[in-house]
Amino acid sequence: MSAAREMLCDTARAVFAEAAPAGMGPIEEAGFALLLVPEDAGGFGGDWGDVNAVLQIAGVVVPDLPVAELIVNDALQPAATVSLMAGAMGQALALSIEHVNTRQQFGRPLGKFQAVQQSLAVMACEVRAVEAAAAALAARLDAVGLDVAAAEFEIAATKLRANRAVGVVTAIAHQVHGAIGFTREYELSRVTIPLMRWRGAHGNDAYWAQLLGRQVAEFGGKGLWEALTAR
Amino acid sequence: MQGFALYPFDPPGDVAARRDELRAWLAVNQPQGDIVARANCWASFDADFSRALGAAGYVGMTLPARYGGGDRHPLERYVVIEELLAAGAPVGAHWIADRQTGPLILRYGSEEQRERYLPGIAKGELYACIGLSEPGAGSDLAAVRTTARETAAGWRINGQKIWTTGAHFSHIMLALVRSEEGSERGAGLSQLLIDLDTPGITIRPIIDMAGHHDFNEVFFDDVLVPHGALVGTRGQGWQQVTAELGLERSGPERYLSSHALLAALIDAAGADPDPAVASLIGELAAEMWTLRRLSMSTAAKLAAGEDPMVEASVVKELGNAFEQDMPRRVQAIVTSGWDDPDDLARLLRALLIASPSFSLRGGTREVIRGIIARGLGLR
Repeated sequence: MSAAREMLCDTARAVFAEAAPAGMGPIEEAGFALLLVPEDAGGFGGDWGDVNAVLQIAGVVVPDLPVAELIVNDALQPAATVSLMAGAMGQALALSIEHVNTRQQFGRPLGKFQAVQQSLAVMACEVRAVEAAAAALAARLDAVGLDVAAAEFEIAATKLRANRAVGVVTAIAHQVHGAIGFTREYELSRVTIPLMRWRGAHGNDAYWAQLLGRQVAEFGGKGLWEALTAR
Repeated sequence: MQGFALYPFDPPGDVAARRDELRAWLAVNQPQGDIVARANCWASFDADFSRALGAAGYVGMTLPARYGGGDRHPLERYVVIEELLAAGAPVGAHWIADRQTGPLILRYGSEEQRERYLPGIAKGELYACIGLSEPGAGSDLAAVRTTARETAAGWRINGQKIWTTGAHFSHIMLALVRSEEGSERGAGLSQLLIDLDTPGITIRPIIDMAGHHDFNEVFFDDVLVPHGALVGTRGQGWQQVTAELGLERSGPERYLSSHALLAALIDAAGADPDPAVASLIGELAAEMWTLRRLSMSTAAKLAAGEDPMVEASVVKELGNAFEQDMPRRVQAIVTSGWDDPDDLARLLRALLIASPSFSLRGGTREVIRGIIARGLGLR
């Protein structure tokens, strides 16, 4: 990650932490609405790689605040939601690893049991897939100057892939946490409930699967590969 | 943990032009035989095709020119490999030699071994197999018991390998053997490069459930090979093999084995597909696009000299699940009968039968998940 993006992320972490109890005020004051506005127009001049990084943090720290709506326009909301989801999934995984390494049963940490290890490996694969998809989508959006039509394939593929990961990620996170993860006090639900919400927002599975499936059908069997490798 | 970055996949040269050249070459040179051979095509043996591919410069691409190789960047090879697999080209004969044995000989082999074997590998004429599994050492590879004792005349080998893919057509085997008497587990193992026409070697076929002869039992009865058969460092076989296995887990073959079926499904569906079929195509395309990006990023990391062991395992786990689930999901939605003569039905049947092996070869799903769990800090 570039030094500028590192600094941006540090700022986002600090400001979002302040906003978590206070609401959108600190985020608006810090100028996040200007993230994608070009520098010569008085903005930050960021790209989608920056948006992806910032929204992954928002997905963890302020999942219930309309940060994505502040930063990007309506047409890009599906793409923005993917970044929120990737961040939240990373947090669900981090919490799960922490929990199974700490919580002891039968005289050892839960993470020493193969059944638990295998579950978390499955979950980690889903999280990595969504993180990779979000990063690949960012590369595409930046390559086409945020032209939503030119990135429609990638937006559809990424949102669909993220939607499909939610079930696996939330189920395993809650399963390995046991009852404590189901309490209001413990922080797991602060990412799993938003994940369930985002799965249905800005295009559910059926919507994107239809859109992508019809696009691929137009490509034809050989054309799919040619289209994938041409992008 | 946050902001997992994709490594940029940036091979030197004009990649689009290289793709076009290869596609044009395939249009002329790819055998137009049975479409079923295009499924799981890295298990399809075709010596003539391998030789032609080698002559065209598409085998041994990353080996140095002084050994007959192409002196190309690993990512240039990646592009060629994914094109060959997507086209369903029969690359099985030279596959292991090209992917694994050649690079390993270059890295660990002696000058004599390099000069002796690499030119044939780069021509697509010298085939290799990997002697790892034994009757008592499958997922538990460190339980290897085949012995090699150093004598005045060379290494004397006794024991048995099993599930050895391609041993019956290969010229050489790279075998993991216990070279140090009384050693246990990963210690005391070495890698030997064995010419398979050496006296004392018996190769017996094992026919798989698809009716194919891919794997074999290989018996060593007092087999004598020269001192120069040792690859790398004596006693370091375990470390060398583990590094080798990491290399083979993240390639495009981990998600493209069923690609011919996806292409056939799309063609059968036509330009205005039934909504349920469109949904399935959309879901499969989304997964495939994601896997390709992950695999490319991992390849770029490998090419940059990093060791993305966990990421490579993630590619294998997700890729195998994708190519294994696809036939089942296609069958759930199409009306093809088991014995129908059309392409879609025949590909479907072949892949349904082949697919249990996808999460066994190259490390079982359970072993792979164990590696990922270790990467997460759980073991």
